[in-house]
Amino acid sequence: MPDIVKLTIDGRTVYAPKEASVLEAALDSGICIPTLCHVPGLTPNGVCRLCIVELVEGKREKITTSCTLGVKEGMVIRANSPKVMRLRRNIAELLVAEAPNSKAIQDIAVRLGLRKVRYRFHEAECVQCGRCVRVCGEHWRSHALGFVGRGDQRKVMHPFGARPKSCRGEEACVDICPMTITPCIGPMGPGQGRLCGVCEAQTLIADRFPGTCVSCTLGRSFRCANHVWLGSKVELAKAVSRVASKVSAEEVAG
Amino acid sequence: MSVEQPTLPGGKGAKASCDSRPRLTAERRNTHQRTMPMDAVLQILERREPAPHQLIEVLLDIQDECGHIPQAAMILVAEHLKLPLIEVFRVASFYKAFALTPRGRHIITVCVGTACHVRGSPRMLDEVLGFLGLEPGQTTEDGLFTVECVNCLGCCALGPVIVLDGEYHDHMTPAKLRKLIQSVREAEKEVLTHAEAGVRC
Amino acid sequence: MQKLGCVAELDGVREELAVERQAARKVVTVCGGTGCRAPGCMPVVEAARRQLERQGLTDSTRLRVTGCHGFCEQGPIVVVDPGGLFYRHVDPEDVGEIIAVSVARDGAVERLLYVDPVEGKVRPTESDIPFYVAQDRVLLDQNRVVDPCAIEDYIAIGGYTALVKVLTGMTPESVIEEVKASGLRGRGGGGFPTGRKWELCRAAHGTERFVICNADEGDPGAFMDQGILEGNPHSVLEGMLIGAYAIGARRGYVYVRHEYPLAVHHAHVAVAEAQEAGLLGDNILGTGFSFDVRIARGAGAFICGESTALMASLEGGVGEPRPKDVHTVEEGLWRRPSNLNNVETWANVPRIVNNGAAWFAAKGTEGSKGTKVFSLTGQVKNTGLIEVAMGTSLRTIVYDIGGGGVNGHRIKAVQTGGPSGGCLPVECFDLPVDFDTLAEAGSMVGSGGMVVMDERTCMVDVAQYFLRFLQDESCGKCVPCRLGIARMLEVVTDIAEGRGTEEDLALLEDVAETVAETSLCALGKTAPNPVLSTLRYFRSEYGTHIREKRCPAGVCRALVRYEIDAEKCTGCGVCLRACPHEAIAGERKQAHVISAGVCVKCGICRDECKFDAVAIL
Repeated sequence: MPDIVKLTIDGRTVYAPKEASVLEAALDSGICIPTLCHVPGLTPNGVCRLCIVELVEGKREKITTSCTLGVKEGMVIRANSPKVMRLRRNIAELLVAEAPNSKAIQDIAVRLGLRKVRYRFHEAECVQCGRCVRVCGEHWRSHALGFVGRGDQRKVMHPFGARPKSCRGEEACVDICPMTITPCIGPMGPGQGRLCGVCEAQTLIADRFPGTCVSCTLGRSFRCANHVWLGSKVELAKAVSRVASKVSAEEVAG
Repeated sequence: MSVEQPTLPGGKGAKASCDSRPRLTAERRNTHQRTMPMDAVLQILERREPAPHQLIEVLLDIQDECGHIPQAAMILVAEHLKLPLIEVFRVASFYKAFALTPRGRHIITVCVGTACHVRGSPRMLDEVLGFLGLEPGQTTEDGLFTVECVNCLGCCALGPVIVLDGEYHDHMTPAKLRKLIQSVREAEKEVLTHAEAGVRC
Repeated sequence: MQKLGCVAELDGVREELAVERQAARKVVTVCGGTGCRAPGCMPVVEAARRQLERQGLTDSTRLRVTGCHGFCEQGPIVVVDPGGLFYRHVDPEDVGEIIAVSVARDGAVERLLYVDPVEGKVRPTESDIPFYVAQDRVLLDQNRVVDPCAIEDYIAIGGYTALVKVLTGMTPESVIEEVKASGLRGRGGGGFPTGRKWELCRAAHGTERFVICNADEGDPGAFMDQGILEGNPHSVLEGMLIGAYAIGARRGYVYVRHEYPLAVHHAHVAVAEAQEAGLLGDNILGTGFSFDVRIARGAGAFICGESTALMASLEGGVGEPRPKDVHTVEEGLWRRPSNLNNVETWANVPRIVNNGAAWFAAKGTEGSKGTKVFSLTGQVKNTGLIEVAMGTSLRTIVYDIGGGGVNGHRIKAVQTGGPSGGCLPVECFDLPVDFDTLAEAGSMVGSGGMVVMDERTCMVDVAQYFLRFLQDESCGKCVPCRLGIARMLEVVTDIAEGRGTEEDLALLEDVAETVAETSLCALGKTAPNPVLSTLRYFRSEYGTHIREKRCPAGVCRALVRYEIDAEKCTGCGVCLRACPHEAIAGERKQAHVISAGVCVKCGICRDECKFDAVAIL
């Protein structure tokens, strides 16, 4: 099978097309790796760094983003090791402290086991994930939006701050933005930023089963093999009780 | 200005014999007032291959010529190099060399590199703030001075270093900087008085 | 220079030059580096020209303007050969005397010679001056004798002989083997074995490849590459030619930061002269090898010193680094195999080819061969450009070459490696300077910047300075660097302003690890180094800021108070006039007072006061 590659992720054998990235290979096989800037179909950016994995090479491991890492025959990847989880949690902490007013970011934080934020909350309305810029430039080819400036002055803007004629009004940028849906407990105004972490279902799963899908909002925007499309909180609660009851039985048996 | 002859760092004139007052040419005075003729931009573009990789060199030439990058110039450049306008704007805003708003007639550049920092460059900024009311990047209301910071000029042994209108000044102190700024002010006043009196500069 | 069609013609030119130059009885050299321009070396050159004419010595004397001589603290510098009389702090008014005494005759103008401050003795030549004696100036020596705008000077001292040796007698593979055997490691900061890089690039798939010279030198406090590119651009071109031959490249780029206008100019002149002479272009010296170089300017972005960002900039875009899962030697500039090396790395190549790998490897340590150029700056007596064998101790550099502290202040640390490096305390000064040792100690050799810091420097302020710098220069693309550095800066600022807590130190170390491990590029990955190294060696200083809300060095503005000692104050009013914030009041001849509410603790008054009446509390 020349166009299929075999690799190992978290001890599991995974097959993937040879042009796939490690992230795509993992998601396709039901191994959940959190992402923020990834959009299927657009070139990977490697910006949010949430999808980092350990690439094992001999005795050494290299931390790299799985969205930009192409699969190779025989590759050994650790996608959910304790080190990776710890690093991801710190990144999620930075994101949530920067922009708490996003359900997607709050979901990711909880899923990664974040329980406390050690920084002052900022009120950013943009985390510079670049999804809007990429969808506008690559998909619609309008190039109406882009990153302007550098460092802490960097932001997303129209040229000279005015919407150009090339913008077609598709609003793909709005749809794809992780800031469009506010947290379930309500939008957070200035000075109200905090870590959600209230959803028992999510914290239960994240604590007991690290690496398990918590049906994050972003996951709904792309097919995720492990992800049974859970359309509502009721569905989520049912899924949780299924998982929880399964474990209780095992624990009792063990 | 052709690319073969970039502005070379001048030195201070000799201490006694040369007049070391900043020279205020009529040309420099007028740059502030005239709008950037698009012909100049077109000439710059014609000297270069119309290819995207020329973007930075083109913008550097426009910056050298005009003191900043006007919006109209960016639109022309985007057309000529066949780039989306947002890309030109992006590059112009990313690099420190480019100013997106007009700057003053006299640019004071304070080196804030590590070597100059430990030798007291923060005090230069205090001096400038107190004396001219400017934070780095700002221009005085009369359009006379702009203050900018640079991360290293390569004269680390001579710090703190200030560059005024392309001339390098070494071992600076806040007092020397104040005198320097004052001398520029005096020179400007003289030019104005001469102009008013109908004397050609 | 006319176009040289073959090796014999080049040799011929060299012989002619040797004969021609014997005719000059004396040679007067003026250092024309950027560091000497500020104190006014060009008027000295003009004065020299005039005086030689006036004294009828123009025909028998050669006057040349060279690149940086290294002893920048002493500029403007004039050297008279033969004999190497070293004149310093030369004013245009002094030149007449120098010409009359040392050129027309064989004397010396004592008052302009260097006096060694330790023993008070006059040291007439470079070989007597302690600053130079302790160095090993393999590369920088050429700066003394080469006019960067005259290819003839370079040819006269044997320039381009290495290229000839390679083109006429070595295969590309044997060139690579030689460079590998020398042990040369990248001089820009990465320290990657150069020969190995060339080998990987040569082996990469593709027909078109590039060689690139990284002359962006963004580390503040570092100007080694400026000294080499400004002073001896042909040495870099020759290195690139040899590298291109070894790798199979036909095009090269030199990316120079625009803040170095003189280096840009000299690079252009050198390329033009080399093209004119047929040393760049098609069918070089009739050997069939073709290679040409283009100069590109940076536009003010420290990140463009990172190789993938540099290449993005060469392509006309923003300097945003790219993932290095596939290395640039395989996919670099325009996705072609590209070999990028630093200025100093390229400049070492012709020497290695001519003198052999063993010669280079005889100097230095096991893991770091050869010599390295450093820029020694900050709170040290002798600042300038120095070159020493790898393995030389920090102590030798700071004290024997640097001359120790200024004005009796106690040296506290030396910062090496720029914003990617760290601060090493005096206790570490016996460490040999080499790639692996300094990295283990928590710093790095980096590109070669060395900033000496004395007791007037606060290490918390230093950490804050570097974090601010990195925040400003971060491209902003990836989360850990953009947000992580901002938060580290927030925490360190809290500490510097008296709001720090004990937990802050643990938080700093935790987020530092995340930024170091997960950032996309080397800027982010090394960003925590200044904080981590100051925490490692100066933790007590952080502790004092946190627990006592006090800054021992008297720097952190929120934690100090400036007060005028009424006993010492004479009421002269100097401080009142000097204060840019109008925070001082007082009548003439009466003790002045600083208004605490207005005072921003800039320290200008303290500098100006001649009676030492301003105290920092």
